[in-house]
Amino acid sequence: MSLFSWLRPASPVVPAAFQQRLATLPAITELSECTLREQRWVVLDLETTGLNLSKDRVLSIGAVVIEDGAIDFSQQFERTLQCSELKLSPSVLIHGLGPNAIAAGSDPAEALVEFMEFIGDSPVLAFHAPFDQHMLGRALKEHLGHKLQHVFLDVADIAPLLCPQAQIREAGLDDWIDWFKLEVFERHNASADALATAELALILFSRARAQQIYSALQLQQRLSQWKRRQQTHSF
Amino acid sequence: MSKADAFTQAGKTAVLQNIQGTLQFLQRFPPFNQMEHAHLAYLVEQCQLRFFAQGESIIKPADGPVEHFHIVKQGRVVGERPHTARGGTETTFEITTGECFPLAALLGERATRTEHLAGEDTFCLQLNKLAFIKLFALSSTFRDFALRGVSSLLDQVNQQVQQKAVETLGTQYSLNTRLGELAMRHPVSCGPDMPLREAVKLMHEQQVGSIVAVDEHKAPLGIFTLRDLRHVVAEGVGDFGDPIEQHMTRAPFYLSPDHSAFDAAIAMTERHIAHVCLVKDQRLCGVVSERDLFSLQRVDLVHLARTIRSAQRVEQLVTLRGEIGQLVERMLAHGASSTQITHIITLLNDHTVCRVIELTLAEKGDPGVPFSWLCFGSEGRREQTLHTDQDNGILFEARDAAHAAEIRGKLLPIAQQINQSLAQCGFTLCKGNIMAGNPELCLSRAEWARRFAAFIREATPENLLGSSIYFDLRVVWGDEHSCEQLRRGILDQVGDNRLFQRMLAENALRNRPPVGRFREFVLARKNGEKATLDLKIQGLTPFVDGARLLALANGIDANNTLERFRQLVDKEVIEPLDGAAYEEAYHFIQQTRMQQHQIQTRENLPYSNRVDPDSLNHLDRRILRESLRQAQRLQSSLTLRYQL
Repeated sequence: MSLFSWLRPASPVVPAAFQQRLATLPAITELSECTLREQRWVVLDLETTGLNLSKDRVLSIGAVVIEDGAIDFSQQFERTLQCSELKLSPSVLIHGLGPNAIAAGSDPAEALVEFMEFIGDSPVLAFHAPFDQHMLGRALKEHLGHKLQHVFLDVADIAPLLCPQAQIREAGLDDWIDWFKLEVFERHNASADALATAELALILFSRARAQQIYSALQLQQRLSQWKRRQQTHSF
Repeated sequence: MSKADAFTQAGKTAVLQNIQGTLQFLQRFPPFNQMEHAHLAYLVEQCQLRFFAQGESIIKPADGPVEHFHIVKQGRVVGERPHTARGGTETTFEITTGECFPLAALLGERATRTEHLAGEDTFCLQLNKLAFIKLFALSSTFRDFALRGVSSLLDQVNQQVQQKAVETLGTQYSLNTRLGELAMRHPVSCGPDMPLREAVKLMHEQQVGSIVAVDEHKAPLGIFTLRDLRHVVAEGVGDFGDPIEQHMTRAPFYLSPDHSAFDAAIAMTERHIAHVCLVKDQRLCGVVSERDLFSLQRVDLVHLARTIRSAQRVEQLVTLRGEIGQLVERMLAHGASSTQITHIITLLNDHTVCRVIELTLAEKGDPGVPFSWLCFGSEGRREQTLHTDQDNGILFEARDAAHAAEIRGKLLPIAQQINQSLAQCGFTLCKGNIMAGNPELCLSRAEWARRFAAFIREATPENLLGSSIYFDLRVVWGDEHSCEQLRRGILDQVGDNRLFQRMLAENALRNRPPVGRFREFVLARKNGEKATLDLKIQGLTPFVDGARLLALANGIDANNTLERFRQLVDKEVIEPLDGAAYEEAYHFIQQTRMQQHQIQTRENLPYSNRVDPDSLNHLDRRILRESLRQAQRLQSSLTLRYQL
């Protein structure tokens, strides 16, 4: 045992069955030259107990898949995670998940394994992706001792990159939905938000092609250039 | 098990939120709103949601056999077909939220014949062919819809029309009507020992033609009718104190209330009786008389026509008008088309006009000059609805101007009388005074010909308006020969005059169908009232004007708009498909208009051609919009043809 092990939080006890399943997950690779249409994407939205990156927890996961350039309704992921120590907080008003729904949820470890299998090696899209990436990463570490390695692309960055004419600063998901005049279903859960984000992504992919961005890799590269530029500007 | 299947299984534990949301979305539209929940859920779970940017091709002929069924979730899909006559393309249809495509190509396992493009940024739900086939096998509602496509929508509309009409009539008024429903009033009955005098008094008080003698259990013992009374009086038996049983017909013929009016009619004819008792559980429960059955026949067209032609006074004709209204309602109930109905109204109106003329001539004396009674406008085109203005004139033969003036002097008083009598019969007096009683409309053939020639020569706005009314002329009463000559003159002159045709074409574009570039109606909002559209001016007039122009320009002497389209197709002036589409669209708008009129009559509202599309159901609104789009297509074809 390492000398400093007591400094680290105790690693979780992961059942062998889950360990086996985690071991068979495909290896994560960098984005490739395959076209935006050929690439399978997972579009993710998480409901959490709050916005605190180190304290709050994941309450539910909603995800849809973009495959062959379309949202595939036969591949959807939707789980509410059991969370025993949850205190009733004001965020209940936002995510709408009451204590009962959460108590009736799935075992978090099992749901997370299933979700990892669902994602496979696909890159993940989310609106304000760094938040979802961090929260999911923490949940995986805490419940499964597993390291999240997937590529995340932030739709909140892709949208202004491809539509600079929109001129909306700090735009939220709702702003972009309005901008593209998207008619989305009632959004009161992670799944509906994921679907709305995915619809947004389909429009954005179409715009990307119009701007000579054809592959997932190109999109990622353009995105990091754009982010660097944004940062220099802000200095 | 594939990965996708595994996840589908996993998701089955609860209905996924997004599936639920999509289900609810689809349930707003036919045929999905009528499909079983499980079948619809299957459809949604098998779907892909795809985005098409504006102008992007969704399916095109070159793609080969169609692989997907599409439902528009958001946006607008347009069908583009290469224009046959001149290059370029034309929009043949529009598909919007909740609608699907392509059915014929998918079922025929062939490529689509029309390129489907995104008219604006569009999201479509796509169902692959395998799932489509499975759904086709599972759901009869879906199968029905897919097989019959839009025509099944039209059927649904017709079913609704019939159902609605039946609802207001309370019953399907025909010889299939149950006798129980026909015998509205309680039967008049008495004991067998009631004195004849009292029985007759009872019949008199109750205004009935028969009384039934019953035992203490209400079982009929005999029937005594007015005919029996005649016997009693004629034979001079004379003691009206006799109990009724001595004079009644014993053991009367009876049927159950569940028998049909037809059964009763047969029985009466066979047995030479005028009354049939209705008996249920051996108790008398009604009597049906010949007159009750006759009231069914009153709506009979032939009978009505005959009654009109033999009416002795104008007042009689006025009462008969009410029955035309009933006839229309019944015909709608029995699923008659608007074309059939307008034809019948025209027919009965013609009879009324003829009878009014005959009665007037009988009253005022024959002027001794042969003349023809002309009608113009919708009456001339045989497209009248129940509320209609008078548009008429007189045509006669004269040697010269002086002779014409002399004849006019004789005919005008008669014409004015006829106009007034027609007004009494419900033909509103024409506000523009286009009536035979107006000296300017009581003309000799030469005078008419001169007038029409002036219309064609000098295309002033008034003359153009005039030609749109007068050139649909027709003879209702009198010799048709002179009118025939007039019409030929018009056709010859218009056929030669390209400039006049062009002016008519411009005129035909005045009334734009109220459909915008986008999917909804463009409506006029008058001083804060609800936005409405005018079915006649904005819906029918574009077809009527277009058909008139093309008919006049191509030497077609038919007046009726649909007949004009048919002959234009025969002459290869317009394409068969277009002709059929115009016909169907015209038909539907007219049908909607007549339904509106029926509703207005029922609710005692003034007649109006304005309709609020929101008051129509989803299906009607959708078909109305497509119909108006056909009017738009006809107009744009005129624009091309006359290079406007």
